[in-house]
Amino acid sequence: MNAPGVALVIGAGGVKCAASIGLQRCLNHEKIPIDLVVGCSGGAIYAAAIALGHDPASAAGMTAKLWTRDVTAATDRGALARMVFPKLLGFTERFGLKKDALVNARLKEGFGDATFADCKIPLFITATDFKTGEQVTISEGRIADAVRASIAVPFAFAPWEVNGRLCVDGFLSDPLPVGVAIREGAHVIIAMGFESPNQERITSGGRFAFQLSTIMTNNLLKASFAFHGLAHHSEVIAVIPQFSQRIRLFDTEKIPLLIDEGEAAMREQLPYLRRLLMSVPATHSA
Amino acid sequence: MQITIAQHDHVTVAGVAGSIDALTADTLVTALLNELQAGRTRLVMHFAAVEYTSSAGLRVLLTTLKDARQRGGDLRLAEIRPNVKQVLELSGFTSILKCYADLPAAIASCPK
Repeated sequence: MNAPGVALVIGAGGVKCAASIGLQRCLNHEKIPIDLVVGCSGGAIYAAAIALGHDPASAAGMTAKLWTRDVTAATDRGALARMVFPKLLGFTERFGLKKDALVNARLKEGFGDATFADCKIPLFITATDFKTGEQVTISEGRIADAVRASIAVPFAFAPWEVNGRLCVDGFLSDPLPVGVAIREGAHVIIAMGFESPNQERITSGGRFAFQLSTIMTNNLLKASFAFHGLAHHSEVIAVIPQFSQRIRLFDTEKIPLLIDEGEAAMREQLPYLRRLLMSVPATHSA
Repeated sequence: MQITIAQHDHVTVAGVAGSIDALTADTLVTALLNELQAGRTRLVMHFAAVEYTSSAGLRVLLTTLKDARQRGGDLRLAEIRPNVKQVLELSGFTSILKCYADLPAAIASCPK
């Protein structure tokens, strides 16, 4: 069995992950096929769109409708009350401060009942086992369920059960899951990752918690990327776009800019990628 | 990729130009390890003309760094471009390697 030649790994990053559409556009234009896609958290949405065969324009349209500010607008007052009075009202592990009916409906609208078996490119979505903290790699079942588990942002969306495991957001175990592509035998791995921006001002408990999460996530990203870069037998090409504007979690109106800047970031790596692919052994060639 | 080796008193300066990647890593690591095996264990890599470092390039740095320190020397970097520094920071290398803004400072930092 031939190992995958080129794997694309799209890390966590909310709407910034739309930059991966630009990356896809660049590779399509250069006729460089992707043999395997891995996605985590926001990156799972785009990885799934690419694996299902959406072209860059349709992926951009579909995801812009899916990930909008209103998916986190409805506070679950019951959950809030259960957090304040846990014994009285009965606190459970399926806790999230935001109602998830809308995001679930959007995922259903975007991915329908498509399963991993429907993918044109092998797809792997990562989440995190809530009970053990282990990375969970999902490669079967409904894609909407896998994405929902992968974007189960702590405190916002309740954990989601997939294949018998209760899962939270994939970024908690690895914000850029290059290891999945290594394990699948990929030769050249294009890893698009995003550092979380630090909070400019801490004006609330929520922002305080967000800043702590940012610190941990960025350090985990670096530690994990360092290990996988050194452990891989071949090459991990990091594509880390430096956006010209500050991008917040739901800046969907900036998706066109993100796509352009993602494409530009990939284009910078193209000369090397081309030379590298020419040197890839035949068993790995795409 | 081009490599130039020059001796500055007790410090060996390896100037590298181009891309340190899977296609050039073997050449570079061989050149650097040759210096170490010859007893020139105070190494400074002049990065001003390094345009790109991939994961294969990082493996070269790690191999050289470990070998140099095992021999009682060190590997230090000078004049790293911002895009290359970003990769070094992301992969944690700036926490284990000493990096300097200019070459004279890097050379001066090496103990005799």
